[in-house]
Amino acid sequence: MSAAAVQPVEVAEPDVMGALLTGVERYLRSEVDAAQIDREGAVPARVLAGLGELGVFGVTIPQRYGGAGLRLTDACRLAAALARADRSIATTVGLHLGLGTRPLVAFGAEGLKQRYLPRLASGEAIAAFATTEANAGSDLSRLATTALAEGAQLVVNGEKLFVTNGRLAKVFTITAATPGLGGAQRGSSLVLLESGDPGLSVGREERKLGLKGSSTAPLTIDGVRIEPERIIGEPGRGADQLHHVLAWGRTLMSAGCCGTARAALVKAIEHTASRRQFGRTLDAQPVVREHLALMGARLAAMEALVHDTASLEDDVPGLLQRSLAAKVFGSDGASYVVDTALQLFGGLGFIEESGMPLLLRDVRITRIFEGANDVLLTQLGTHLATAPPPRRALAPLVGPDAFALACSADVVAAALDAHREELSARHKIGLLRQTRLLNRLGRAVAWSEALDATVRAVDARRTTSRGAAALFSEVAARDVANALAAPFGEEVVSSALADLEPGA
Amino acid sequence: METPADLDARIIKLISQVVPVKPEQIKRGDRLREDLGMDSVCSMELLSMLAEELDLDVGVEDAAGIRTVADTIALAARFLRAKAAA
Repeated sequence: MSAAAVQPVEVAEPDVMGALLTGVERYLRSEVDAAQIDREGAVPARVLAGLGELGVFGVTIPQRYGGAGLRLTDACRLAAALARADRSIATTVGLHLGLGTRPLVAFGAEGLKQRYLPRLASGEAIAAFATTEANAGSDLSRLATTALAEGAQLVVNGEKLFVTNGRLAKVFTITAATPGLGGAQRGSSLVLLESGDPGLSVGREERKLGLKGSSTAPLTIDGVRIEPERIIGEPGRGADQLHHVLAWGRTLMSAGCCGTARAALVKAIEHTASRRQFGRTLDAQPVVREHLALMGARLAAMEALVHDTASLEDDVPGLLQRSLAAKVFGSDGASYVVDTALQLFGGLGFIEESGMPLLLRDVRITRIFEGANDVLLTQLGTHLATAPPPRRALAPLVGPDAFALACSADVVAAALDAHREELSARHKIGLLRQTRLLNRLGRAVAWSEALDATVRAVDARRTTSRGAAALFSEVAARDVANALAAPFGEEVVSSALADLEPGA
Repeated sequence: METPADLDARIIKLISQVVPVKPEQIKRGDRLREDLGMDSVCSMELLSMLAEELDLDVGVEDAAGIRTVADTIALAARFLRAKAAA
């Protein structure tokens, strides 16, 4: 079986990002050794400098500050290409383009932009974002880090954990409680700090399961004194801003998942085409063929959902909601594809030289960072329960190529909506405390949105693999039905838990 | 019969269970988001807890437009009146 037989073919567009990607991919092929990055625990400085010269760090920064001013869809294509070569590089760049620089680009005052963005666009300065604390993360009401007015200055104190790009960054955006600022008693704000600010120190590099070339370190902020202009955007509005930048970050991370999954799928296709068992190549075995087809179908849906999500860049509420689905669906999908690919390698997949252990280690964190999947699924279910997004039937809107798929997607969406209405009528507002139900609703939403995105990709001919799309529509229908089935009974769960004695 | 002051105190106590703010620091005029630091999920959870605590038949759609502590108290009072009249 040829690789093209199961890979959805991306239809290239003649655009700025297309030209940039050609150069970036050539550079990655000649200069990047993912195994070496993993062994040495760092991306070589010359590689980061080379990517900076190619313009990678300024892709989404406006042209007047030295960037390329491209769209989120373009940045996602870049993130996927980087992740296909090495996930540590993709994480370093993706964090810089998303959580790292997006606050400044979207909300920063002009003076702040002029001061920092040119260096960030060139890659001379790398950006980090710090919000996680020992007892808080995206729940800003519990932040212990504070930025308090003292005379004409702000004094910042706190500890941040797991700061991606921590030891590389020269510019940090942090979340801090800013009580009283902007007229909000318990408001929070995004605050910009520099690596040279007295009182700011970065701790030692964390030892991680994967993404070993990506820097992760704690940040100590001990009485850092800054001018109030270092608050990004309107003081006290940190919660709204955080939602916006997290949506960007999740979308870029999902794009990276597509790159990782594609790398694993290509390896699996090449291996199963060459490895012979029982007198024929592995890819001639029916079970293996089905695995490969399912992996390709899942990847096609992941890519379609990322494209759909990134296209919502100008519709912030839409991006917020869809990025939850993209993150969960992408990270679950990449984990599934990598794990299945490793399985198809057999014992060789357990050996470092196959490249599969590195992919497996690197993909594991994607279901945890940028919001743990279970938390995001519950949020997604809550969104559906409280403000179901309007959805128009797809079948009347698409051409003949996508009509059958659109009908399937409409059936799935209708089942989901009927289920939501039934739950809402039964539980009233109490539904919002039924987190297991919300979690399952969220999973059904993610799959339904992935199917809708796949239909649109086929209709717009962004993918030529109608077979992969058709297979995914069958998979999605089954998985949505499973997600909408009643959760396990509380009594059964409690009874099983009662048997789990500590130390048993 | 619960007095308006009792209802205020009960709801403010509930709020203090959702956000890390002491009951005595919460005022009727406080905005759930800007002054108490609740996000949209958190404020929905508050209304859900309120419905459970007071045994009220609040629908998800009734929660729209609740922005302040006073809005929350008014919602509870409205549903309590409807329950008493039923």
